Amino acid sequence: MAGLELQRIEKTFGRTRVLHDVSLEAGDGEFIVLLGPSGCGKSTLLRIIAGLEAQTRGSVSIGGQCVDDVPPPDRDIAMVFQHYALYPHLTVRENLAFGLKMRGKPQALIKARIAETAALLEIHDLLDRKPRELSGGQQQRVAMGRAIVRKPKLFLFDEPLSNLDARLRTSMRVELKRLHQRLGTTMVYVTHDQTEAMTLGHAIVVMNHGRIQQIGRPEQIYHEPANPFVAGFIGNPPMNVFEGSFRLDQRGLEFRAGELTFRFPFQARDLIDADTGMATLGVRPEDVTLEPQGSECIAITGTIDLVENLGNDSIVHLMVKGQSLTVRTSPGLRLPAGESITAYVKNFHLFINEKRVPLPSP
Amino acid sequence: MTNRPVLLGGILLAVLGSLCPFLWFVLTSFKSQINVEAIPPTWWPDGRLVFYASALIEHRFLHYVRNSAIVAGGTTVIALAVATPAAYALARLRLPGKTWILGGLLCVAMFPPIVIAGPVWQILERLGGLNTHWGLILPYVSLTLPLAVWILTTFFHELPVELEEAARIDGCTTWQALYKIMLPLAAPGLFTAAILTFIYAWNEFFFALLILTDPERQTLPVGIALFQGEFITPWGELAAASVVATLPLIVIVLLFQRGIIDGLSAGAVKG
Repeated sequence: MAGLELQRIEKTFGRTRVLHDVSLEAGDGEFIVLLGPSGCGKSTLLRIIAGLEAQTRGSVSIGGQCVDDVPPPDRDIAMVFQHYALYPHLTVRENLAFGLKMRGKPQALIKARIAETAALLEIHDLLDRKPRELSGGQQQRVAMGRAIVRKPKLFLFDEPLSNLDARLRTSMRVELKRLHQRLGTTMVYVTHDQTEAMTLGHAIVVMNHGRIQQIGRPEQIYHEPANPFVAGFIGNPPMNVFEGSFRLDQRGLEFRAGELTFRFPFQARDLIDADTGMATLGVRPEDVTLEPQGSECIAITGTIDLVENLGNDSIVHLMVKGQSLTVRTSPGLRLPAGESITAYVKNFHLFINEKRVPLPSP
Repeated sequence: MTNRPVLLGGILLAVLGSLCPFLWFVLTSFKSQINVEAIPPTWWPDGRLVFYASALIEHRFLHYVRNSAIVAGGTTVIALAVATPAAYALARLRLPGKTWILGGLLCVAMFPPIVIAGPVWQILERLGGLNTHWGLILPYVSLTLPLAVWILTTFFHELPVELEEAARIDGCTTWQALYKIMLPLAAPGLFTAAILTFIYAWNEFFFALLILTDPERQTLPVGIALFQGEFITPWGELAAASVVATLPLIVIVLLFQRGIIDGLSAGAVKG
């Protein structure tokens, strides 16, 4: 049974269309992450799933049931908001109880659920406090508690960690993952943070300008980005992207972007014939090494512009024939700025007409 | 802070200036008849309660208090009952011409009462509302609504939409979200609007004089104004009556002081 199914969702505000033909399916118990830059429509999509916003066209099903005409209170969902949205005039206990009370659940059950949830999130000590007496991290826990306590069919998270400081964010992320493993409920999680997306999601839905760019498992999104947008959006530091054209000669295939050329030791006639030759070539910083490699790598020479030391590794910015190339490398290499160095590229991503084209292996 | 004394002096002056008349009639109300008319005037009262006795018992002043309480209370309850949903809608819904509605309300509040006195009287005459309490409550409600709507709209506007959405997802209908979540949070705004409305209705003189000619139904301000006899002005009784008229307002304002201050400073600081 599908936990959540969206069919051809469209949304327009006045004349602006913010969602174009969005379809996706999440299996029961799956953790789906909607990832994209701000304004890409991911939050609107979440609100449509919640019923807080009505779609202009298309259909939403939760747990196999179409909920297009079902108002939010009856969709059996719970949502965690970016700013937590705890009821300020109620204690933590009353906040947790509110949804159950509204649904007319018996006192005994409410009490038991609150105890269970408080134990799970370790918020016993906070139950009699008001939200303003809590720290940001504690408020976050309570907000999650308010969602969990209802045992809904579907959890929705709207950038729940974005208001926390970096350390707390990391620990809450781990807890959230643990929580999902324990509850096994379908979750939809909106974020613009790729680390959250990669670590939490079974599947990531990358969105931009109201369209789905790619749906895939995290490693798929990372290793086989469907288009230059996904390639550039996922990965930190971002992928090096070169716009240029292909040329074929006796020695093989040559990609030229301005002064910079990459020579591939293979022929791929079908690649070239299909198009005008214009293409985008992507190189992940972690696919470049500064240590000498064999002939399966393509070597290019440049000068060191800048080195950022991150502790466990370094980000080296090279200038190669007027183009910049970012390299992720292990620290400890002596890399004085201005010095000439040879970089070895292990792997390329090729996009023609904004679409991924698998490169033949050498 | 070198200008602290200056500031304090200014505050003192403002407080004294506005309290002066009030102080004078409070003092007067406790004097005896001889002292009230003494020349040169005496400052300190001789601690008599004769004027209170005379005002409350002989002149049956308490029934004016009762009438005022009915009219002011009724006005406040009805005005808030209408203003709350209106303000909520104006703050939350995507209404076309919202600014015009709010601006229009403000314009309505600006008419001098004399302009609408004629029509109001005619309407009430046809409806049979002259010399009735509801006949006075009706125009009071329409005159206080703009202010109440404005105050409450500001308040609802400041409350995060997310709270309401959370309530919806937690199982509330729109109405339940309004009265279970939004109203308790807008309490300072409700207090402010309620008290300003109440004070207006309690103190209003012009329409009260126009609409209520039967002494049995008249409100406090009219009662006090028509208190004077044909040949003498009973200053002492007037002062006692004025104290009695002001006292409820002071008690209410003191009781809800915190709420009002929160309400009047809304928008300055985030709630």
